[in-house]
Amino acid sequence: MEGIDQDDVIQILRMLEESTFDELRLEMGGLTLVASKSSKKTGPVEKLEFDDEESADSKAVVAPTAMEREEKAPIQQPQVEEGKGLIAIKSPMLGTFYSAPKPGADPFVEVGQLVSEEDSVCIIEVMKLFNTVKANVRGRIAKILVENGQMVEYQQTLFLMEELEEAETGGEEDLS
Amino acid sequence: MKRISRVLVANRGEIAVRVIRACRELGLETIVTVSEADRESLPAKMADRAVCIGPPAPMQSYLKVDTIIAAALGTGSDAIHPGYGFLAEQPQLAQMCTTHGLIFVGPKADHIKRMGDKLYARKLVGKLGIPIIPGSELVSDLVEATEAAENVGYPVLLKAAAGGGGKGMKIVEQPEDLKTVFDEASAEALSAFGDDRIYVEHYIPNARHIEVQIIGDRFGNAIHLFERDCSLQRRYQKMVEEAPSPAVSPELRDAFCEAAVRIAKQIGYENAGTIEFLLDQDQGQFYFLEMNTRIQVEHPVTEMISGIDLVKEQFRVASGDSFSVTQEEVKRSGHAIECRINAESPNADFAPCPGRIGQWELPEREGVRIDSHCYPGYFVPPYYDSLLAKLITWGKDRDQAIQSMQKALMNFTVSGVDTTIPFHRFIMKSPDYLTGKINTGWIEKSLIKEYVR
Repeated sequence: MEGIDQDDVIQILRMLEESTFDELRLEMGGLTLVASKSSKKTGPVEKLEFDDEESADSKAVVAPTAMEREEKAPIQQPQVEEGKGLIAIKSPMLGTFYSAPKPGADPFVEVGQLVSEEDSVCIIEVMKLFNTVKANVRGRIAKILVENGQMVEYQQTLFLMEELEEAETGGEEDLS
Repeated sequence: MKRISRVLVANRGEIAVRVIRACRELGLETIVTVSEADRESLPAKMADRAVCIGPPAPMQSYLKVDTIIAAALGTGSDAIHPGYGFLAEQPQLAQMCTTHGLIFVGPKADHIKRMGDKLYARKLVGKLGIPIIPGSELVSDLVEATEAAENVGYPVLLKAAAGGGGKGMKIVEQPEDLKTVFDEASAEALSAFGDDRIYVEHYIPNARHIEVQIIGDRFGNAIHLFERDCSLQRRYQKMVEEAPSPAVSPELRDAFCEAAVRIAKQIGYENAGTIEFLLDQDQGQFYFLEMNTRIQVEHPVTEMISGIDLVKEQFRVASGDSFSVTQEEVKRSGHAIECRINAESPNADFAPCPGRIGQWELPEREGVRIDSHCYPGYFVPPYYDSLLAKLITWGKDRDQAIQSMQKALMNFTVSGVDTTIPFHRFIMKSPDYLTGKINTGWIEKSLIKEYVR
């Protein structure tokens, strides 16, 4: 990491906490820091992604060797599934889908889980830039259509959600 | 193809179709990148898989190097073919391919970068003793530009050092106009190429644009596949190309083809490329203009007279083989002409005309080749260039090729969008074109006026 460490991040978060701003997005080289003040005041950190040595190593895309090329996986079309009455959460970009904030960590969401608009549901990585995807809608995760580590396309459906009953008056059709 | 089995085609339109066809014939799997606007396109239907990389705007899709590399890695592709335009001459894509163990089906990043700098290319070629158009070094202000223009002699062209594809050039006819044009040219160069460096070159009014197709391999070999004459241009955009050039003697041809090969060998150029020359018809002298480090739109005319599939050769060379022929085996046969059929209104100053195609009836007959991504009912999106099809005819000689083109143009029916077909019919009947009395300014200076009448 050039120039910024854990202490700096804590410092930045304190400054945000004390400021009148609700959200902060900071991009520096390989680092993206997105923080926002939760309305429940449970602490400001929403998402923190480091492109440090460790995660770079664990997520680096290694070029296949000639040997591996021989037994190449067949071309797979992305699964297209639009459930009836379900709301789709789509990928905002082409990249690699990660279901958890870190390798080995618990996934952001699981089937049956209730989520609200601001909850993170996954990370999409494009060349080591990690982008957190929010649910943007209140509901229950009905289906997860992609697997951890899989490449997803722009606007590919990642999750299907059942709208919560009390949210039905909210008119959230603008989601797709 | 020892090292390539799956190819990511990072382009759209007719060139994506062209590359996918070549891949099929070579037994290679294809993935094509598409923007949201191209999901239903012909390349998307033809490829083994289409991958949506972003919204319609090129800046958010076809020009995103990171996303295209991620798409190639995520689909297990071993190679990326960039086509022409978009990222074909962006050294970053070629460089990132190398970094990630992918094969870039094109030249090395370093060659794209060096030859993309026109001043560098001029110097390199000048050192080889090949004529270059009298011109200046970079000029940083009006004072330097004025002095440079006096030295090379009016009329002059102001050219962006980072320009290309006919963009970033302005003619100055007389000293009084220099100030205005200089300011315009710098501003335009900055906005179009992010680089406002400009130099001054003498303008040759009675010129033909003649370019030589070359191909090099990683062993230092390079051959030429003769020339294309691309003198029929409007605002520096080519409209009609043909091979061979009707204005060139055998001695002159030998000289510029040899010069082109010498340039390619000098830099150790790999893959397909084009060396462009201007032929001063008054002096009978040719000058090096620039090098294009990509497969070009007009490559089919060379394929038609040589019988060599240039896109397949690109894959051979990229996979580490040499090309399939020796220089001695490259033979010319007959004459080929290409008309670029664009979605533009020739009656409205060639305004682009996107929209839904109704009828799309092609003149299919012997000696006619059509490279296109269009079909009846296809929606021509407004976000990209207006090329709908390349209509190519071949004949035993120039007259036959022209006759075949005339017939083909009469039998090419398109409705729903305006096209340049009527204008091409007009060109193919013009006495000046038939007798070869044209130059790079002919369409704009005389033909358009006749056509409007």
